[in-house]
Amino acid sequence: MAASGPEKGRMRASLRLGFARDDVTGRTTLAFSHQDPPLRVVRAFHADENGAIAHLHNVSGGLFGGDDLTLQVEVGKGAETQLTTTGATRVYRRAAGNAITRQHSEFMVSENALLEYVPDAIIPFAGANYYQHTIVRLSANAGLFWWEILAPGREASQEVFAFERVEMRTEIEAGDEVISLDRMRLEPGKKAIASSGRMGPYRYCATFYICKLGVDAELWLDLESQLRTTVPDLPRLEETRWGISTLKAHGLMIRCLAKQGCDATSGLFCLWDAAKFALYGRHAVRPRKTY
Amino acid sequence: MDEGFKYVVPDHDPAVIELWLLQLADSALPIGAFAHSFGVETLVATGLLQVSDLEGFLQAWLEEAGATEAVFCRAAWQLAEHKNFRAKEWLQLNDRLGALKPARESRKGSCVLGKNFLRAALAVCKLERLEQAESETRKASAVVHHACAFGLVSGAMHFDQDRAVPAYLHQSIVGLISACQRLMPLGQTRAQQILWDLKAAIVQTARFSADFTTEDSCCFLPMLDWGAMEHPELFTRLFIS
Repeated sequence: MAASGPEKGRMRASLRLGFARDDVTGRTTLAFSHQDPPLRVVRAFHADENGAIAHLHNVSGGLFGGDDLTLQVEVGKGAETQLTTTGATRVYRRAAGNAITRQHSEFMVSENALLEYVPDAIIPFAGANYYQHTIVRLSANAGLFWWEILAPGREASQEVFAFERVEMRTEIEAGDEVISLDRMRLEPGKKAIASSGRMGPYRYCATFYICKLGVDAELWLDLESQLRTTVPDLPRLEETRWGISTLKAHGLMIRCLAKQGCDATSGLFCLWDAAKFALYGRHAVRPRKTY
Repeated sequence: MDEGFKYVVPDHDPAVIELWLLQLADSALPIGAFAHSFGVETLVATGLLQVSDLEGFLQAWLEEAGATEAVFCRAAWQLAEHKNFRAKEWLQLNDRLGALKPARESRKGSCVLGKNFLRAALAVCKLERLEQAESETRKASAVVHHACAFGLVSGAMHFDQDRAVPAYLHQSIVGLISACQRLMPLGQTRAQQILWDLKAAIVQTARFSADFTTEDSCCFLPMLDWGAMEHPELFTRLFIS
């Protein structure tokens, strides 16, 4: 059932970004932006030889009850863009009677373009009620490295799965084909999070998509095997679980369960690097920030 | 039987229809369900699922995967109702259910069971609707998921939707419990007790699914996803998935 709730305190805002490849220099630039606070991007930096990196910034410090934010990103033909956040996305408690917090994101990755979306974790505070809907549309030969990390809450304040509800929907489309629908709804007050099918003894859940159109199905099976050989080298393996599988077409999904967020992040960086080298022949460039 | 004996109970008698449903929902139906654990084998092998957790695990399965499959089962049942077979919707329904399954082995397992179920139904009752579904699927080189096949067959055979959906969930739960009996120290009596105790949860999940559409059902079972994704890596395997 789609998110619903009272409309009191509803605050709508959007951030639209367009990245384009300069045909002369081959470099990607932030060619267009429309920014309604609280979502902001200050500028785009050069990530490597041709790519651009931009930091998504929420100047209000997090998402509040009633926020209804839209993020639209277009990566133009041949452009290469890395997006990250300036820090964890904090989802604050919803005040009584306020509308739920919503974020709708759309990413268009054009022909031969590459999007690397590597944000910090989402931290839903106690009492938070958050709905997120993300659509990624991939055109011919487009590539995608995309992850999301969900934290259990403010662990230092003993808030573990104390949020009211978190619903996250992610759709990946390759041309006319839907290659993945990931829809998770967590309601710790109603459903046992620690069940052996859900989180078991783990607290962090991460999902990592690696996609590229135009790659043979057999190569995805090879990459799945190759990434599995990387897993034993990941840090603190005894505290994490890494599942890797080909999608129904055009890519892989990695599901991570971890007891600590830093282990999930470290492992994701390693797998990202290995996958990027396998698909693009070059290493991943970590976002310019301290972890 | 005497040569002159004539059945006085017609095929459309509700009791006959109920027995057909019982037969198709029987876990003994030869579609290969016993060869799949859908990730459970990995959870048991790594000690993440034990007998003491089993009832809670199955409850969670019903609330998440079961609820989603029930929604698709209902949608397929409704497709059987239309006068003209809506092939495009049928193919799309199966395609979307596949997109919701992140682990390859479980996705393929569901397709194998779906194809076998449709064939098993056609073998006992040649309905035009089912032949169309099989033919259109073959023409499109597409797949049939178990939940969709069960829903379509149930609709075509005029099983009551609110009886067919819990029957599908029951069949699925029986399959998982049966897998657990072969994987862990779970005796017949305890297994039957768990199955007995889950009846209300099965019915509730089936009823709950009527409030959702295929566009808004959710499934949060990351540990089972992990188990299904890593199943190919188990050193010794009893199951295909």
